[in-house]
Amino acid sequence: MDGDHPLATTLVIGLRHTLRKMKNAGTHATGLQEAKYHIAFRPDAKMVTVPEGTLLSDAIAQAGIRFNLPCGGQGRCGRCKVVVEKGEVKRRGTSRLSTVELEQGYALACQTMVYDDLQVFIPPQEAILRRLPSEKAAAEIPTLPVECDWQSNPIVQKFFLTIEPPSLSDNTTDFERLQRELAKQYNIRNIVAGLPVLRKLARTLRESEKESQGWQVTAVLEMGSWLDEDAPPRLIDLRPGDHTGRTLAVAVDIGTTTNVVYLVDLASGKFIDSAAAYNAQISCGEDIISRILYARKEGGLEHLQRLVVGTINELLHELAERNRIDLSEIYAMTVAGNTTMIHLFLALDPSFIRLEPYIPTINHPPPVRAAELGIHICPEAPVDCLPSVGAYVGGDITAGVLSSGMFKTDTLTLFIDVGTNGEIVLGNADWLICCACSAGPAFEGAGVHSGMRATVGAIEEVWINAQTYEPTYQVIGNVPPRGICGSAMISLLAEMFITGIIDKSGRINRHLNTPRIRMGEHGPEYVVAWAKETRNQEEDIVLTEVDISNLIRAKGAIYAGFSVLTASVGIDLADVEQVLIGGAFGKYIDVEKAIQIGLLPDMPWERFKYLGNTSVLGAFTALLCRDMRREVVEIARKMTYLELSADNRFMEQFTSALFLPHTDMTAFPSVLRLLDQQGK
Amino acid sequence: MPMAVEIPKEKWTGKVREVKLGATAAEGGTRQKTVTVGGESTLPFLTFEGDMPNPPAIAVEVQDRYPSDWSAVLKAAWGDVLNDPAAWAKKAEEYGADIVALKLQSAHPEAGNTDAAHAAATVKAVLAATGLPLIVYGPGQAEKDNEVLVAAAEAAKGERIALGNCEDKNYRTIVAAALAHGHLVVAKTPIDVNLAKQLNILISDMRLDLDRILMDPTTGALGYGLEYTYSVMERLRLAALTGDSMTQQPMICTVGEEAWRAKESKVNEGVPAAWGDWERRSKNWEVLTASTLIQAGADIVVLRHPESIQLVKQAISQWMAR
Repeated sequence: MDGDHPLATTLVIGLRHTLRKMKNAGTHATGLQEAKYHIAFRPDAKMVTVPEGTLLSDAIAQAGIRFNLPCGGQGRCGRCKVVVEKGEVKRRGTSRLSTVELEQGYALACQTMVYDDLQVFIPPQEAILRRLPSEKAAAEIPTLPVECDWQSNPIVQKFFLTIEPPSLSDNTTDFERLQRELAKQYNIRNIVAGLPVLRKLARTLRESEKESQGWQVTAVLEMGSWLDEDAPPRLIDLRPGDHTGRTLAVAVDIGTTTNVVYLVDLASGKFIDSAAAYNAQISCGEDIISRILYARKEGGLEHLQRLVVGTINELLHELAERNRIDLSEIYAMTVAGNTTMIHLFLALDPSFIRLEPYIPTINHPPPVRAAELGIHICPEAPVDCLPSVGAYVGGDITAGVLSSGMFKTDTLTLFIDVGTNGEIVLGNADWLICCACSAGPAFEGAGVHSGMRATVGAIEEVWINAQTYEPTYQVIGNVPPRGICGSAMISLLAEMFITGIIDKSGRINRHLNTPRIRMGEHGPEYVVAWAKETRNQEEDIVLTEVDISNLIRAKGAIYAGFSVLTASVGIDLADVEQVLIGGAFGKYIDVEKAIQIGLLPDMPWERFKYLGNTSVLGAFTALLCRDMRREVVEIARKMTYLELSADNRFMEQFTSALFLPHTDMTAFPSVLRLLDQQGK
Repeated sequence: MPMAVEIPKEKWTGKVREVKLGATAAEGGTRQKTVTVGGESTLPFLTFEGDMPNPPAIAVEVQDRYPSDWSAVLKAAWGDVLNDPAAWAKKAEEYGADIVALKLQSAHPEAGNTDAAHAAATVKAVLAATGLPLIVYGPGQAEKDNEVLVAAAEAAKGERIALGNCEDKNYRTIVAAALAHGHLVVAKTPIDVNLAKQLNILISDMRLDLDRILMDPTTGALGYGLEYTYSVMERLRLAALTGDSMTQQPMICTVGEEAWRAKESKVNEGVPAAWGDWERRSKNWEVLTASTLIQAGADIVVLRHPESIQLVKQAISQWMAR
């Protein structure tokens, strides 16, 4: 009642007494008068009087307080939490409230009935947004996902040198002078140098001359190779002046659909910035098979190589501009990508990856120089591609296993990277088995009518009111929406299913009474946002039946992969102790919704952890730390690959998983319970 | 020394649902007899391990227009009744059919495109001509199926007929019609265990009782995928007997349609002499397909040739007697 005139409070209390009397008189004497109660709301300082048994959410509406019921008042979403500060209430359901919250007086407004005079506090709804695992990996500033010693031995180091200029009495060559000083000042011997650096050596040294102090330069050395630190150091750049403050490098994830670049500092071990974009190769095919087919065309391979390098260069320029750096200051690059993406990046012939017996050119390509690939960083910077296991399990997965930490845990872990290819790894520190299934780009927001990447303007979460079929959505950056990203695809599909907009086979029920369900250009569709709500005001944001079918295929392929992989080692899916999820979903994945659609197995939520983009995080780790770079090789060596195309259980499991949540409903008891509650 | 050998027995936990077709006057219909299928708690005819309370039933296909595309063998066997569905149904009953499977083929856009009223009239005429339970099939074209099956359901209100085919694309309309008028549906899916189960789930989600669903797993005739059908049906039945409630529907196979489509039975031009007598061969094609699928678990076979009815009936009674 803060801010109210004292008189108002008095009046209310007085009124309350009168009404109490009336209530008693009513029940005892005439039986006509219905009991009424007063509810005071904070912090809005509003007051209403309602009959006994009124829902608190109705009372809030009556008070004219803006309050959302995203699921339509069914007690499903837990978004209408309020605190009952004074008075007694009856709670119809408390499914979303923790014991602690219950003790603190929290109640779901839509599930709480009034049986007393109340004082109710309405917390800001944004503040209680329920976010399932997002945690540090997907946080704004990524940190190293595994503990390791990155300080002692970075791949590229900078050395500031003062060199005595030559004279007639000391006529040693420029390179030998440099060598001599490196040995003298830093005890570094036997350095080698490539032609590009030698070509600019003479001029750079002389430009660096400072009055009476000799030549002052920073030598940038690649310290041996990633796997062999004792290999001779290589001079990759020489700059006038002292630039030893930081050593920039980039970690890159080349996804079939999405490319991500992390800009990092090797000297401080810190992440600086990141940028992401769709892989420009998408124009030549959405999945790896169509890319491989495209590569067979005349000039196709070169074209694909130029496209992906182009995307990476664009991202590099974006980062350079935003961080005011010179791209030539970037001295190393570590790349994680699936086997086909790495082949295309290096312009290696990928043809035989597609054909039985599925043989890549190489699983562990040697490092190459940036200039050889046309990457716009220091021309001599080493570009390192992380090793693959085989044709369909690439460096993105070995990187993922690295960043997930599963290679050093005793816990039986299932790791899944949800991308255009769903790669699944099962095991722990002792053994690892993996498989790959083609999920398509739907969960990355591509190949879906209103899909987009998880970036500003993307709808990332949706709730649907089960009575009106009206959606409530959350947009990244709190701006008008432009499209739907992967995490919202999951929540949208789950909500459409739970509210009965689609049936278990994913067909839209066109008999429902809402303008949001209609026949569109591509068949039946559901309108998530009308054009007038969107950023460009031009087009409705929809999910079509075709999109739904693609999403169901994607989730079906991944779940079938789980089933076959666990069965192949004689383990029941329920025995898996933790499930680690990687993928370009954005900041979080809603585990509950993912279970409802049968993307993830129905197990306690605490067994799931969302790690964010594990591929780029793994590349980041391997870029920073040599021990971890060696670990990736060990992971690749240790991993057993299960070929699903040679496994006839896969097709069977896949068809079985093309249903919401699954044809075998008994595997999803929590979803069955929810459907029962919904009466659907 | 003689030793007692104990035959190992399988213990099943599940049972196929009993499904009743047709309703007598006492039950609100006009059928003189009803047919109950299903109820097995064992694999077909292995009665030492469980019960098989109802013998497989024979439905005879009747079309609502002259089947000009049918084999000459069939046309000769039926004669004039092919021009009149009511007379045809009556004849089928005389030949020993348990059920009449009326296919409203004339509603097909390329076979006359007859309308809902025509369908209703045909259904009424056939109901009047025979005392047997009815299965009514649409022409197999989505829009027309919806149109004529809804009309048929209304025309046969109270008769507990089966409406087919109910597929994943149109199940909402067909199931709604069955719910509104107290009928059954024939749930047809492309030869796959999971798909069959999924459709049953979708149908039961609409609150149609599980004892009002027959499932058609899609039939492949002898030489045309019979083994595949056999294996899928066997797996469905094994799932049913092990307690999976969404596979416990009795199975129906459209044997006549498939067997008479085979080159071996349909025509006799340019076939090797070693194939033998055409008429005998084509009847055998239908009978062999039917009896094989009955062994796989078919509860209803839909047949075309009058003599096939007799031969399959004989086989069933011999197997049941054992």
